[in-house]
Amino acid sequence: MASERSIDWNLLPGYRWHENGQSTFSGAPLKLYQKLDRLFLQWAGERGAAEHRFPTFIPARELDRLDYFRSFPHLVTFPVTLDPSKDNLAAFVRGAPLDDAGHLQLAASAPIADVLTPAACYHFYIQFQDERLAQPRYVTTRATCFRREDHYAPLQRQWSFSMREIVCLGTADEVKAFLAGGRATVEGFFKKIGLPIEWQNATDPFFEPARSSKYLMQKLDPVKIEMVFNGDLAIGSVNFHRNYFGEAFRITRAGADAYSGCIAFGVERWIFAFLTHFGTDEAGWPVLT
Amino acid sequence: MKTETEVRRALREWVIRTNGKIAADALTDRTPIIEQRIVTSLQITDLLLFLEELTGRAIDVEKLKPGIFRDIDAIYENFFGKADGV
Repeated sequence: MASERSIDWNLLPGYRWHENGQSTFSGAPLKLYQKLDRLFLQWAGERGAAEHRFPTFIPARELDRLDYFRSFPHLVTFPVTLDPSKDNLAAFVRGAPLDDAGHLQLAASAPIADVLTPAACYHFYIQFQDERLAQPRYVTTRATCFRREDHYAPLQRQWSFSMREIVCLGTADEVKAFLAGGRATVEGFFKKIGLPIEWQNATDPFFEPARSSKYLMQKLDPVKIEMVFNGDLAIGSVNFHRNYFGEAFRITRAGADAYSGCIAFGVERWIFAFLTHFGTDEAGWPVLT
Repeated sequence: MKTETEVRRALREWVIRTNGKIAADALTDRTPIIEQRIVTSLQITDLLLFLEELTGRAIDVEKLKPGIFRDIDAIYENFFGKADGV
């Protein structure tokens, strides 16, 4: 939309953009970050969602159950350490740690068995694996997520970013009711504050989509609806996973694989939408409750 | 040329055979086979090939509409009925 403000991010007080796809907040932008997340938490609380705080790494073995590495090899980020052998560490210390381009010269690296969190809700399915749910379960977490991209842009496309998710595990009907209720709440909020958002069917960013059966499936049976700002920026999404995670992690509800769904909010993208639509002066921001 | 009854039976048999777990009496022509993941993403391309065999026509994946594989009723309507979805 032409009416949105164009902001010079380098000049915005309390904000710093890092060329490696990350943001630093302080002052008013940090206040906005915290207020937004409190709002998401309030919505989570209205659904009885219990808050969780997860660590950064996810065992690769767990993500492999979801065929994650074949689906999203272009996005994945690994924690790398040096091979701990004394000889290797000594070789690393003797050499120059960095080359001229600023790339680390690791000597040998240790085997990698973990992944930096790519999506907040994965933690829940791993956490609840093998459980039989006597009732629907509502949970929420905010995680720093990591997705390698071929380019980055302040607040819009970052290597590491904050994702708040509200998740329901239950029967198909319980999950659908949760998603419909959540969408209605968020839709009502956008209307109340006057933020122009379009709801659009979308697919996950699969590797080589033309050859991906998962992509084809999502096209034929849309399970992801995005909250799109300014015509092209998804600031959040409502996702119905069917019983995909329930089956992969043997979580059952009412005698069958549990269904699940989540409402996800990209905090930095919400900040982008707020600043470009309502301006950088916090006096112009809507009340966030 | 197969009759409607034969086509529907062939589709039901394919789903039951491919899924390997679902009982014949648990599958009706209105069972949501995608939502319940009776047919999974790994099997969707096999379903396309099977439909190409049944219809005798190539399917252009780009032209497929959402909801076309929701259940056997939808598949029949879209590939064999009046509303040609391909």
